[in-house]
Amino acid sequence: MTAIAVAPSLGHRVATTVRVHASNPWALFYTPAFITLGVFALNYAIWRTILLAAGDKPLAPDAFDYNGGVTWVMFYLVVVAVQAMNQTFSFTVGLGSTRRDYYLGTSAVFVALAVTFGGGIALMAGIERATSGWGVDGHFFAPGFLQSLPLWELALMYALALAMLMFVGAAAGSMFVRWAATGVIIFFGVLAVIAVAAIYLLVASSAAGPVLTWFGELTPLQAAASTLPVTIVSGVAGFLVLRRATPKG
Amino acid sequence: MTAVIEAKGLTRHYGKVRAVEEVSFTVETDSICGLLGRNGAGKTTVMRLITGQEFASDGEVTVFGESPVENPAVLARTCFVRESQVYPDSFRGKHVLKAAAHLFPNWDADYAGRLVDEFRVPLNRRMKKMSRGQRSAVGVIVGLAARAELTLLDEPYAGLDAVARELFYDHLLADYSANPRTIVLSTHLIDEAARLLNHVVVVDGGRVLIDADADDLRGTAVTLVGGHAAIERFATGKEALGWDSVGGISSVTLAGLSDADKAAAVAAGLELAPVSLQQLIVNRTRNSIQEVRS
Repeated sequence: MTAIAVAPSLGHRVATTVRVHASNPWALFYTPAFITLGVFALNYAIWRTILLAAGDKPLAPDAFDYNGGVTWVMFYLVVVAVQAMNQTFSFTVGLGSTRRDYYLGTSAVFVALAVTFGGGIALMAGIERATSGWGVDGHFFAPGFLQSLPLWELALMYALALAMLMFVGAAAGSMFVRWAATGVIIFFGVLAVIAVAAIYLLVASSAAGPVLTWFGELTPLQAAASTLPVTIVSGVAGFLVLRRATPKG
Repeated sequence: MTAVIEAKGLTRHYGKVRAVEEVSFTVETDSICGLLGRNGAGKTTVMRLITGQEFASDGEVTVFGESPVENPAVLARTCFVRESQVYPDSFRGKHVLKAAAHLFPNWDADYAGRLVDEFRVPLNRRMKKMSRGQRSAVGVIVGLAARAELTLLDEPYAGLDAVARELFYDHLLADYSANPRTIVLSTHLIDEAARLLNHVVVVDGGRVLIDADADDLRGTAVTLVGGHAAIERFATGKEALGWDSVGGISSVTLAGLSDADKAAAVAAGLELAPVSLQQLIVNRTRNSIQEVRS
């Protein structure tokens, strides 16, 4: 037997974690994708039903402009992120990965998922535009004010928003792995307190108006880019928490 | 010989629970070390400390001369298989083997395939739907086929039937001879595993009770069988590990008998019997409980 004197390269080690996640693509990819398509199919059916009920009466021109269906899959991906960490950390580290390699690999998977889903949603939005809203003037993948956004901006916006949500999920997942349910409850409790306190301070200092104006003037892409600090802070916090976690079993 | 594992004053407390208390021992290269002890003695915690999965409260452990904590160079050469290994819900047997192939640089896929056939593991079944024995078999296959320079097996055969256990012992010995490596095995089934072990570390209550070469340890005690009075006379003043008496016949297990003592025992008409590793460890562990109580 030849002894291996040095560790496998960082790339190889990180790829190992990616492969562990990828060995069952259902939880991470197919399920959220099918849920998105399922929610879309139901929406389409509802649009058709409304058109049938309306008969010859004309609908308001913006009747099918607003839709929150896509946000459903966005928040589902938070759950996917928490679950993925809870399920694979004990297995991968239990078999001899370092926590660092595990976290890097998991982060790579989350970024890839954010990009894939961002691109996928933009692609569907492109079809949506090319078919005049699926033939019924419906807007599911780029609803409301997103209708006029260039597709590449739409893809980037969704990818950035998804990345933030997945890394918040990663931070929560790290807390679950380290402190079990108590950790996650405390995390979201503290998060809620910080959010309420921030809003209170904004209102109390009469800064709420200017901040809202500033936020309202952002382009959708600028607004999405403003999530980056949250993404990065969550990502780093998740690692700091996971660094001292021990695998179960 | 050089040491693969060196633990010095290794300690792990969980709040007030002293799971591991100042444990020191070494494991030499290419040996099979039995890490033995009762339930809750601290065996698993020691193994988790050796693989950097648990953080020491005090003391230190080095593996291949380095700290194992977050050390990819050490961990890539180490394989730790335990009965309570957690598997992702969605994982089938084949997924575990695929992941193991990526994690262990010396992975032998052909060997793993042969073991799957011999242990009759249903690779397409989800891990959580497998029986305890089947799950253990997957762990045993990972532990053997990983061919890691340091392999730690924590109660690897819980739920395995006698045939599968024999199969495991045979494979472990055969593969160890063909590909020498360092193996640490924790088990309750001391007698079954005794023939495999070169070295024995017994932990009890988080502390090391015995740290000895297996053959030396076997030689440290002997059981004498004979008439009640003769046994009584002979054993007085010697360190007795255990007594037993049925009718007029008594037996006593004595530690530290010299060859002259043994000759004297034979001359006194007593019968000498070897002590199994299991009896010896049970006796020693029982005595340590009595010391604590008194």
